[in-house]
Amino acid sequence: MDLVESYAEDLRFARRPAARVLLGLLLAALAVFPWVAAEHLVFLATLIALYSIGVIGQNLLIGYTGQISFGQAGFLAIGAFAFGHLRIWGAPFALALLGAGALAAVAGVFVGFPSLRLKGPYLSIATLGFGVAVYQVFVNWEVLSGGRSGLAIASLQPMFGLSGTRWTYYVYVLLLTGFTLAAYNIVSSFIGRAFVAIRDSDIAAEVNGVSLTRYKLLAFAISSFYTGVHGALYAQILGHIEPQIFNVLESITLFVAVIIGGVASIEGSILGAVFVTLVPKVFANFREMVPVVYGVTILLVLIFEPLGLFGRWLKTRLYFQLWPFR
Amino acid sequence: MRMRFTGLLLALLLLAIPAAAQTPGVTDSEIVIGLTTPLSGPAAAWGNTALAAEAWANHVNTQGGINGRKLRVLMKDDGYNPGRAVANLKEMKDQVFLNVGLLGSAILNAAKDDVAEYKLPVINPYGNPAIWAKQPRAKIRYVFVNYPDYADEAEFLTKFSVDKLGAKKVAVFYQNDDYGKGGLEGVNRALKGLGGKATLAAAVSYELSDREMGTHALKLKDSGADAVVFYSTITHGANVIKEMAKVGFRPKPVASFPLGDYLIMFRLLGELWEGAHFAILSGAAVANDPPGKVLVDILTKVQPKLVGKENTALTGFTSMAIALEGIRKAGRNLTRESYVEAMESVKGFTAEGILPGVTFGPNRRHGLNAVRLLRANKAADFSYVEAAPTQFFQPHF
Repeated sequence: MDLVESYAEDLRFARRPAARVLLGLLLAALAVFPWVAAEHLVFLATLIALYSIGVIGQNLLIGYTGQISFGQAGFLAIGAFAFGHLRIWGAPFALALLGAGALAAVAGVFVGFPSLRLKGPYLSIATLGFGVAVYQVFVNWEVLSGGRSGLAIASLQPMFGLSGTRWTYYVYVLLLTGFTLAAYNIVSSFIGRAFVAIRDSDIAAEVNGVSLTRYKLLAFAISSFYTGVHGALYAQILGHIEPQIFNVLESITLFVAVIIGGVASIEGSILGAVFVTLVPKVFANFREMVPVVYGVTILLVLIFEPLGLFGRWLKTRLYFQLWPFR
Repeated sequence: MRMRFTGLLLALLLLAIPAAAQTPGVTDSEIVIGLTTPLSGPAAAWGNTALAAEAWANHVNTQGGINGRKLRVLMKDDGYNPGRAVANLKEMKDQVFLNVGLLGSAILNAAKDDVAEYKLPVINPYGNPAIWAKQPRAKIRYVFVNYPDYADEAEFLTKFSVDKLGAKKVAVFYQNDDYGKGGLEGVNRALKGLGGKATLAAAVSYELSDREMGTHALKLKDSGADAVVFYSTITHGANVIKEMAKVGFRPKPVASFPLGDYLIMFRLLGELWEGAHFAILSGAAVANDPPGKVLVDILTKVQPKLVGKENTALTGFTSMAIALEGIRKAGRNLTRESYVEAMESVKGFTAEGILPGVTFGPNRRHGLNAVRLLRANKAADFSYVEAAPTQFFQPHF
C-alpha cells in the first residue's frame, strides 16, 4: 500500500495522491476562507497562523530535541521589539521580520549555552529566568521598550485592493506555509535526526558523532528564530506593544500548545495553536468561568489523548486507511 | 420551479436591504450594548465594573427601557489580553450599538485604530487618557472619556502632601508601567513647581508579578520620607504599608484613585489605613455617600456578586449611565451619528447624583478630568472625611 522504495521517496511531502488532493483542498479552503467567513473569524485565523509559527518553533526545541524551555516570552519580546524598532527606522516588513527572527536566534544561542550543562528541570528554570530577565530589561530600559507607553507600529499596507484584515491574513498564512515547509525539511533532514537522537539519549548521540554543542545550540537558534518571528507578527497585528504583553503567561500558553497539539509533531503544533487561540475565544461568553473551562478542556485532552490532538488525527487517519476493516 | 427560485431570491434581497441600512445593534424594540472586559486573568477584579454596568442596564429595563427600547448587554471575557479583546471587538462591531468600559491601556492601544475604523462609539474606556489625546481629532469622534490623567492627579496629590500635610520629603511607590510612571511624572512636576519646598526622597518601583514587599518597605524607610505617594494596585499598596509598619515606619500615605476603595483598604489594613489620604475617580460619590447608597442597593440587588465591591460597582455604573444618557438624548431615531450629536450636547450630567458633572462637546471628548480627596478616619466604622474639594483639571482633548 504505502511502499517506500527509496530515501528520496521517503522524504517526499504528501506521498500518496489522496494526500495531495487533501492538501490541495486545504490550501484552497485557506485561500477562500477570508471571502466566506466573518471578519472576526479571519482575524482569529490570522492569530492562529502567527501562533502556529511560534508553536512549531517551540516543538522543534521541546518536542524534537527534548529541551524543556520556558523562556518563550523572552524570545517573543525580543522579536517584537526588534521588529518594532526596525519598522520605525524605516525597514520594510520582510526585512524587519528577518531581523527580528535573527536577533531572537542570537539570543537563543546565548540561552542555549547552559543547555550544554543543564538538563530537565534545571534547564527549565534557567530558561524561565531568561524570560523574566528579558521582561525586566524591557520594562526598565525605556530606550528599548519605547518609553512608558510602549512602541507604536504602523499597520501593514494592504495590497491588491484587499481589506487590511484579509491582506494580513494572506501574508500570515503564506508565512505559516513557508515556516511549516521549512520545519518539515528540518525534521526529515540529518539536523532533525540529530535533534531526535539528542532527545532520546544525548550520550548515545554523541558516541554516534552528533556534536551536542552544535546541535543543541542549533535547536535553540532555530526555535528562537521561529518564536522571534511569532513575536514580530504579534506586534504587527496589535500595532502597539509594551513589555507587559510578554509576561510568563505567554510562555506557558506556548508550552501548553506544544503539549496539547502533540509533542514532536508539526501538524500537532498547528492544532495546538488552534486550541490555545480558539478555546478561550469560543468560551468567552462563559465569563469568569473561562479559565476553569479552559483548564478542564486541557485535562480532558491529556487524559483521553495522551499523544495530544495530533494523536487523535493519527487514529482518525488509521481508521480510514483500514476501513472497512477494523 | 425557476419562478419560485427567482421569487425566493427577490424575497431574500428585500429582506437584506433594510437590514443593511439599519444601525448595528438597534432594532425597533432593542439596543445591544457590547462589553469586552477581564472577567478572568490578572485584572479580573476590575471586571466587576462590567458586571455593575450590566446590572444598571437590567435595572433600566425593569423601569421600561429607553425611548421604547429595551437594552441587551453582550459581554465577553478578554482575560486582559489585547489579542482577545481586539477579536471580541471585531466580532461585536456589527452586533452592538456601542461599547462601554473597554479596560486596560495595552488593550486601548491595540484597539484604538480599529474602533475608529468601525465608527463604534466607545464610552468610558478605562486606561491612560493620554492614548486618546495623541490621536488625531477625526479618529476620536466616537470616543467619550471620563478618566483622570495620572500625571494631573499625582501633581495635585504631591502639592497637597507638601502644602497641607507639611511633608518635606516625598517618596513615590509606583508600579513599573505606564500607570505608575505617569504618577511619577506628576510627582516630579509638582516638586519642580514647589521650588524646593520639598524634595523627592525616593522613587521605589515594583513589578505587577512581585508579591514580597519587604525590601520595598525598607527602601522607603531608608529614604526617611514623611509622605509616600502610591501609584500601585490595592494588593501591593496594602502589602507595602503592612511591611513598613513592621519595621516601624509610618509615613503619611497619599494614594491614587485605584486605592480609593476604602472598604477594601480598611478590611486589608484595619487601623494602619487610618489617616491615609486617597483620591476618588472622577470626584464621584462613594458607597457611603447618600446618592451612592441608593445605587449600591439597586446594583447589589440586581447582581449579588457585587456585594463587597460596592465602590468598583459605582465606577461601572457611571460608565453605563453616561452611555445611556446619550441614547436617551438621541431619541427614537437612534443612529451612531445621532448618538454622537446627542453625546456632544451632554452638559453637567451627574449620573443620579454620583458625578460632579460630565460635559462633552463638539471639541471635547474628555468629559471629566477630576478627582476628590478623602481621608480615612476610623477602621471600626469604615468612616472617612472630606480632605479636599473635588479638583477639576483641564480636559486634554
